[in-house]
Amino acid sequence: MDSNQKRFVEDALDLLNELDEGLLQLEANPHASAPLEQVFRTMHTIKGGANMFGFEKIGELAHQLETLYDLVRQGKMQVSDGLISITLHAFDKVRDLFKEKDAAKINNAEALSDHLKSAIEFLKAAESEMVSTGKTSSAASAVNKDELATFFIRVSPTISLTVDGNHPLVFIVLDLEALGTARTFCYKNEKGDVAHWDIFLSTTTSQAEIESYFLFVENECQVNYTKLFACDLFGSDEFKEYLDQFNAVPVDVKALSAFVETLSAKCKETHGSEAEDEVITSSRKKAHHDTYIKVSKRKIDDLLNWISELIILQAQLTNATSGLNSPAINEVTEQLELITNRLRDTSLEIGLVPIETLVTKFKRLVRDLSKTLNKKVNFLSEGAETEMDKDVIELMADPMIHIIRNAIDHGIETPAERKAAGKSEHGTVKLKAFNTSSYVNIIISDDGKGIHQERVLQKAIEKGLVAADASLTEEEVLNLIFHPGLSTASQLSDVSGRGVGMDVVKQKINDLRGHVSIKSTSDKGTSISIKLPLSRSIIEGLLVRVEDTRYVVPLNVIDRIDRIPYTLLNRENQVNKTVVVNEETLSVFSLRQKFHNEAIVPKTADIISVTVHGIRKGIAVDRIEGKMQTVMKPLGEAYHQQDFIAGSTILGDGSLALVLDPSRLFQLSDN
Amino acid sequence: MKKSILVVDDFASIRDFVCETLQRKGYETFGAANGNEAFKLLTEKSDSVNLVLTDYNMPDCTGFELLKKIKESPSVSKVPVIFLTTESNPDKMRSAKEAGLAAWIKKPYRSETFFAQIENAISNG
Repeated sequence: MDSNQKRFVEDALDLLNELDEGLLQLEANPHASAPLEQVFRTMHTIKGGANMFGFEKIGELAHQLETLYDLVRQGKMQVSDGLISITLHAFDKVRDLFKEKDAAKINNAEALSDHLKSAIEFLKAAESEMVSTGKTSSAASAVNKDELATFFIRVSPTISLTVDGNHPLVFIVLDLEALGTARTFCYKNEKGDVAHWDIFLSTTTSQAEIESYFLFVENECQVNYTKLFACDLFGSDEFKEYLDQFNAVPVDVKALSAFVETLSAKCKETHGSEAEDEVITSSRKKAHHDTYIKVSKRKIDDLLNWISELIILQAQLTNATSGLNSPAINEVTEQLELITNRLRDTSLEIGLVPIETLVTKFKRLVRDLSKTLNKKVNFLSEGAETEMDKDVIELMADPMIHIIRNAIDHGIETPAERKAAGKSEHGTVKLKAFNTSSYVNIIISDDGKGIHQERVLQKAIEKGLVAADASLTEEEVLNLIFHPGLSTASQLSDVSGRGVGMDVVKQKINDLRGHVSIKSTSDKGTSISIKLPLSRSIIEGLLVRVEDTRYVVPLNVIDRIDRIPYTLLNRENQVNKTVVVNEETLSVFSLRQKFHNEAIVPKTADIISVTVHGIRKGIAVDRIEGKMQTVMKPLGEAYHQQDFIAGSTILGDGSLALVLDPSRLFQLSDN
Repeated sequence: MKKSILVVDDFASIRDFVCETLQRKGYETFGAANGNEAFKLLTEKSDSVNLVLTDYNMPDCTGFELLKKIKESPSVSKVPVIFLTTESNPDKMRSAKEAGLAAWIKKPYRSETFFAQIENAISNG
């Protein structure tokens, strides 16, 4: 693939998303003209681009489908489930093809043939329906484009030009030849200029369209058209032999018509197609308020990296100059701080993209899934313009799909059940996204039957996850859903049982330093809230100190903090300890005893309770220094083995703090 | 002097491709994503743009609307306009011609036709 093709493919993938979106809107409002125009226009652009960059097969498919939507536009056909489905499936395949690295594979003739066939069949079926409903007269001309006719076209330039000249007319003649099977004779005058061209052309293109080729050279030539016959005369050897004489003598139009008469018996009569009727439309796409450019991800990463260096330097400068007591320098450092912060915020935003692409994907999922499960489900989204880090969006796609799948599969009842429960037959799955400070919140809710809490608890007791006599709060019971031992194993179905349990969902969100919580009311529905940091490189954490090393514990996993006398921890010199915190026993991992173990010990230790994989554990540190938001930087290769350290961050005074990965830390302690 | 062409297409990869093709042939190019943007650019650079090469189907302001705007503004009405499009409806072509269009190039095009039309339009207006 050359770079132009690559760029086209990238743009086309965006277009395909727009197309999906348009198609779904159209399905919801079959009579609305705006989405129809958008679908039509997008397909048109894909067609044009595909043909231009050498993906003819895709162009052909887009063309066929465009024809169908043109009929809808002309009011000759209705939008139907079938139409939307074949279109969605066809362009799904196109999307798959675009993911190939090799242009030849993208243009693979086989790959799209099924979809092309079904589009053509759909057109035929629609045609025959139109015939039976009497809408045929005008539709036929638009549809029956594959009717061949043979034309004799004489082009006589009124200006002086040569065959090898650069006048557009020369190329228009070449373009005409490309419209079908053609034979051209060029006659010159004494001066060597073109006297006229005689073109025999057998084509499916209508005369009106052929005429349009000469529209812009009307003043430079005269063109005569003779429609010889409504079929392909080049199929006849006799005709081809007849043409050979024109190499020597000019075409005599009368003799030609006489000859064609004699041929007529051999050629079957079919109706000629006339000019297509047209509906003038002005297409309107949703207004763009902003313009966009595509930038490589690497450049953004580089930019962020340099800005984080700048932030550190700026902090060092502030530190270094604070003792100078010079108002002039103070003013400059303050200004610098202000501007670096703005620069940081803006540059972080560069990498953010709206979650719209995800939303379109989900609409598709809801549509397909509800059809498979015979449920009626509406999908609502709010805040699709909310922006998130592109990587995060990609990583979140699967977990969110799983949640939505669960909502439709287990949450939303069948139309009959819903009716019996006094609800509307259509269930609703809602996705709401919004920003709060440096977090993105995503809430996926449904109005289905909710989670059966007793059953969840029962299951957990059976599996030995909780004691039979344990009294759990509602929240605790619901959180059991995320426990790896429970998962969805008991409720396996075609749809949900794809090997991704809720535990995996939770883990993925945790890996992104996000937070997930669940609320459910019986018969009213379930709502799952996800809170994710805006950017993967920004971390909100608790700065803690052990001896003279500082660590950062990600804030999202922290439940509570307690201060206990150090002596409670320092028994039997063991790394793993159990202490009682808040009247509960807590297994505690002491950073001091694992990594430092100096002789002089502090009087107290702070226990940070964190929940990882649904289990609460404690991390013991010497002292908590405060909350901070900072840019995380990876450690060098040498530290790759130490995976309990997620990265590092540089503090204002230029010293280093290690960012802990609590789940890995506990794995370390378990081994 | 280098001839400059204003290329208007909402689809960035096609716009870039056309610009690059033209640049290789020694033209200077400007790009615009829709009719409104193009018209603004054109009026700002009215002395330096020799030709407008635009798509037909575009959001906000179509090629046809752009054409009409150009032909109605005395300061730029002399700049020839060419449509480069997959649209091939004869009626649309005729009304565009009546509105003052210089040429209509159908996508996909052969490069000789493309450059011949462009040269012809620039020299004959």
